[in-house]
Amino acid sequence: MEALEQLNYTGELSPLRDRMIAELEDVNTLCVTYRSRIYRYALLSLKDPDLAETVTQDCFLKAFKARKDFRGDCSIATWLTRIATNLIRDCTRSRKFQFWKTASSTALEAGDIADRLRSPGISPEASLVVREELVKVWDAVDALPDKQRSVFVLRFVEEMELPEIAIAMGLHVGTIKSHLHRGLAAVRKTMEKKR
Amino acid sequence: MNSNHLSAWEQEEYVLDQRTPQMLRHLTECDECRAAVAQLEHGLGVYRKAAVQWSAESLATRPQQFITASRQPVLSLRWAMAAMIPIVLVLIALLPLRTSNPHPAQPGVAQISTAQIRNDAGDDALLDQVDQQISAAVPSSMESLTHLVSTGSGTAAKGSKQIVQNN
Repeated sequence: MEALEQLNYTGELSPLRDRMIAELEDVNTLCVTYRSRIYRYALLSLKDPDLAETVTQDCFLKAFKARKDFRGDCSIATWLTRIATNLIRDCTRSRKFQFWKTASSTALEAGDIADRLRSPGISPEASLVVREELVKVWDAVDALPDKQRSVFVLRFVEEMELPEIAIAMGLHVGTIKSHLHRGLAAVRKTMEKKR
Repeated sequence: MNSNHLSAWEQEEYVLDQRTPQMLRHLTECDECRAAVAQLEHGLGVYRKAAVQWSAESLATRPQQFITASRQPVLSLRWAMAAMIPIVLVLIALLPLRTSNPHPAQPGVAQISTAQIRNDAGDDALLDQVDQQISAAVPSSMESLTHLVSTGSGTAAKGSKQIVQNN
């Protein structure tokens, strides 16, 4: 894989890996450091706080159990994101999830999020403009296919680099770029259409 | 690259940090392209801010209790399994002794068997008592009436006593 080749440390891997495994041993610190990040990714992918919490817990449990298998060829954050990606995929494939997704057409309205968005120091008019803009982007991202949305979230919310996303998603960097272009095109079109 | 304006693809490349010197030069000169890119970036920034805020609010309502909760059952289960192994081994070791030796020499086992025999005898006696009460012609609560009938005069009384006895 291209991404793996790019992050293929050779000579100096061992001390770095040892340090990372030591970090993985301390599960409390690990959770404090990465919990919000993994939860956010799961929440934006699943749109369900309870499921997101379950995925987050399972992610840390799996990581702790498999800490000896960690090769150290990527950062801990990327490795955890990869575990979370697999768990999210399993979750979205389940019949129960499909049922509730169909039953509740939109689990969370973009307007609800926009209403709660705090924008201190700006006028009510500007706040309204921001709100409308957010609703457009939120709807556009929601309409993306699952994989595209995950890639979009990892890039524009978690601000991960493309090779890191490639490792986390188990895809080539080229495929990640393609997903991002499609996602961005969808967002841009939605913003222009409703203008 | 388009000589007039940045294409949609190029604008997206710029947002994805895949920037070329030509792109940067054009953006310094072209207000329209700069505005388009800025708007796209602003939209993404608002989305990120909202997502982070929503996630933080949602996470704040959830206590961080899973670390100990997830580890304790695993440990306690392991201890329970470890404690069960010798018990199971002892039971397996005792099983052939019990089946192969019907008259065991151990006093403990003998005590158990005599107590069981006593219990069985008690059960038989109780069953006999119940059987007698059920099969009796006159229930015990009505036995006093049979005395009245037997002490009475005349053939009618005798006849009725006979009927009762026959029954």
